[in-house]
Amino acid sequence: MLAVAVAVAAIKRPAPAKNNALQALTSAALVLPGLVSSPVKALENNNVDFQYSHYQEGERDLININSGLAPIEVDTIHLRTNLSLADRIKFAFNYVQDTWSGATPVTTAPIVTGGNSPILVNTPDGITTVGASPIITGNIALNQDLLPLSQFSSGQAAIPNTQTVLVLSTASPETRNQVDIKLGYEWDEAALDMTGGVSVERDYTSGFGGLIGRWDLNQKLTSLNAGVNYTYSKTSAILDHDATPYITKTAYTDQIEIRGGSEIFHGNRQDWASSVGISQILNKNAVLDATLSYINSSGYLGNPYKVVTAIFVDPKQIESGQEVLSGNVQALMEQRPDKRNQVAIGGKYVQYIEPLDAAVHLSYQFSHDDWGINAHIFEADWAQPLGLGWTITPRIRYYSQNAANFYQPYLTVEQAYSQQAVDDQGREIWVDASNPDNGVEYVRDENFNLLDAQGNLVDESELNVRSKTIPFDASQLPDNFSSDHRLSGFGALSGGLSIAKQFSRGIGLQASFEYYSHAGGLKLGGGGEGAYADFNYYVASAALTVDLSAAANSISHNTHHHHHDSDHQQHMHYAPAGLRFAHMMPQADSWMIGYQFMYGSRGGGMRHGKNSASDLQVVQNGCSDALPCRFTPSDMNMTMSMINIMYAPTDWLNLMLMPQFVSMSMNLRELEGRPPPRLDVHEHTGVGGHETGGVGDTLFGALVDVWDQPGHKVHAGLMFSAPTGAMDLEFRRIARTDGGLVHFGMQLGSGTWDFLPSLTYNGMYADWSWGAQLSGTIRMQEENSTGYRLGNIFQATTWGSYNITPWLSASLRGVYTWQDSIHGDYNGFNAEAGPMDYPDNYGGSFLDVGFGLTARVVKGDLVGNSVSFEWLQPAGDDFKGYQLARDGALSVTWNFSF
Amino acid sequence: MNITNPLKLLLSTIILLSSVACSSVAPWERGNLAKPHMAIDPYPMQSNLRGHVYGSREAAGAISAGGGGGCGCY
Repeated sequence: MLAVAVAVAAIKRPAPAKNNALQALTSAALVLPGLVSSPVKALENNNVDFQYSHYQEGERDLININSGLAPIEVDTIHLRTNLSLADRIKFAFNYVQDTWSGATPVTTAPIVTGGNSPILVNTPDGITTVGASPIITGNIALNQDLLPLSQFSSGQAAIPNTQTVLVLSTASPETRNQVDIKLGYEWDEAALDMTGGVSVERDYTSGFGGLIGRWDLNQKLTSLNAGVNYTYSKTSAILDHDATPYITKTAYTDQIEIRGGSEIFHGNRQDWASSVGISQILNKNAVLDATLSYINSSGYLGNPYKVVTAIFVDPKQIESGQEVLSGNVQALMEQRPDKRNQVAIGGKYVQYIEPLDAAVHLSYQFSHDDWGINAHIFEADWAQPLGLGWTITPRIRYYSQNAANFYQPYLTVEQAYSQQAVDDQGREIWVDASNPDNGVEYVRDENFNLLDAQGNLVDESELNVRSKTIPFDASQLPDNFSSDHRLSGFGALSGGLSIAKQFSRGIGLQASFEYYSHAGGLKLGGGGEGAYADFNYYVASAALTVDLSAAANSISHNTHHHHHDSDHQQHMHYAPAGLRFAHMMPQADSWMIGYQFMYGSRGGGMRHGKNSASDLQVVQNGCSDALPCRFTPSDMNMTMSMINIMYAPTDWLNLMLMPQFVSMSMNLRELEGRPPPRLDVHEHTGVGGHETGGVGDTLFGALVDVWDQPGHKVHAGLMFSAPTGAMDLEFRRIARTDGGLVHFGMQLGSGTWDFLPSLTYNGMYADWSWGAQLSGTIRMQEENSTGYRLGNIFQATTWGSYNITPWLSASLRGVYTWQDSIHGDYNGFNAEAGPMDYPDNYGGSFLDVGFGLTARVVKGDLVGNSVSFEWLQPAGDDFKGYQLARDGALSVTWNFSF
Repeated sequence: MNITNPLKLLLSTIILLSSVACSSVAPWERGNLAKPHMAIDPYPMQSNLRGHVYGSREAAGAISAGGGGGCGCY
């Protein structure tokens, strides 16, 4: 029995029913009558919230092996703001970034096909399993009822084995970014919102837009809403070149483009979503909300990385009456219908429990679609305030769905997968092996002679011929099939807890945890999928919420702080957006909360020292003599989101906490003049690029006032960096070969405890302000747990800023940065494919010029807020080793002091 | 596809609600309803997150949450 092991890429599944429209539509449903002028709504009017969450799946049960494959995990950050731009004009903005990686099912197979083949490695402790690779094709034995038979050595009777197993494949990290906005206008008893946004992934992009209206009536006891949303999504997926030779793609040949040796699947889909809803105040302690929604989806609704295991059994075997049949196991790309209509109806009832000051939320939803799926969702929350601003909310949820009518764990097809073509006289047809479709056919007679179309004998030694095969008849397959267990019948039980703490001045913290258990046995009424597809996950989240209106009120009401608008302006950030630790709050008991987004881009060719480097130079000098460079980065992007929480316990000391979240992406290209690939080494080609992302290092420490004169201030920064960011991320295995550690520059943290001292001078006179800062990053450990440490950094910068108007200032800045190269090297396997994998190709000295703008809100509800932009343009680079040129960096900073 | 049943359900809900709505609640009696934990969705970011995860793990039509236009791939 031959089983071919391949590695298959990540699962991408356009979620069957997920649509941003509905989020928007629902938020319309959330606008409760009667609450429009209540504190609840005020809370939503001006707020900035930031949430981090982690999704972690449990290991899947692969029945016969313990794979050691890392399960799926996802890190997500979400920045959310709601602002009143004017009395009746509302604006909302959301930014979501998620990065996921791990092992996910590609198909379901009878376990006798092998399923997942363990990857064994010799270690000092003996042989251990370091992973598993999926087996999606091969041959199995079946009995006359077409049930798979367990394989035994000859002489033993084979017994039917109907056990199925998920076949998993691991994905390297992938990142998604989404931005959406909402612009709304409110009348006294109505509102209209326009929404729109984009979501971008390497292989899936969508754009969406919609309209939502609300109409209050009956003294705002009743509120009706309706909305419509359109989403257009495009799949452009590079099929894994390890897996694609083993996958049958007949149904999609015209959607697959072959470019540069890769097969790229193209598909697009459209989703129209509409909803109508009603919110009703029942009495002074109860509210009911009901929504009906309809979604129409069309286009490619499948997942290009999902295959269905199909066992082809030649009917001649069945006819012959033989006892044991041979099945040819193949993997077909899944075929979902290209249309889907879904209707969902849901209701939520909220009841206030007076004696306990608690609220009970009960909801039920039913949905039905023309794929044959009916789903029920029951949910119950108990929100219990505990005093001192604490609220605790336990929650329970039960979900059940039946299977789509085209769902099958695997297919059994009574056809030969391929068979010898014969002519009308029963003679075998042969064709030119190098060009089988040229129309020239030969036949073999009973003496195995090769004859051409005219019946003349052909000299076979001058030709390269092979027998012509006829593939299976695709029209005899079911129209649609999928073995995605998310379309199977199952139930899910989940429960969790939310904890919220509301502080004074509008600041809040929220945390939540939920554990979820998916099981075929939990399906309502029974008859769900087998236990082989059961799995569990948990999601944990933590959020910081800032109610700007409440915080601003605390400024004006808190005479203790002597905050006045004129005073407040002096608090404002004059420092450029890209600069850290440059601003100190001079008043005791003041707070500042900030968010910094940074985007950095590199590209435009390789550099060495101050000069550009040719491909040949990189090949010869960028790596090692033993292993010259084969690949080089063609571009690289980095984003960072940083939360800045700052508190002044006294007027000379500020404490700071700055968690960071980062993401990186890099594309590689093959170097010209590289040494030829070695056949025995599987190359890490980087086709399709790489992505990493998640939690970065966390900064904390203090700013200390050193010298303070009218118009001149000097402060010292004593900051530390805790190694919370990963520096052991790896690429997935390809063709059973370890992908190795990702390039140094794509790890998320330094892996070492770092000390970041700084000294900052700020001066101001009239509409001018200026400053200078010396800062450094000193790694306090020799090496991190993967064997290296990043280079130390020294930076000197000076800037000037001018207030063009009271609310807008412009800044100009010069920056000099020196960074040492990386010390040490990975102590684990790294592919060493190009200069980005060598420690000497990091660091250098760099000059940048920064152009910045800062806008401040000096009065009104949003006083205390400022938004700054700065573009840093490289003005002089001297790279250590061979590195990708720098394009520049954009910083956007929002700060709020109160 | 048969959508008449849910439509009927919604219509009957509205009719039911309209009759209930007769018990008027004056604005100054809506203090309890205005409490943060009485909001239909007290934690929108958490619901959004959960909705996104459910949406990528379940086949139900999303009515109560959404995570955006992504593929919901995990």
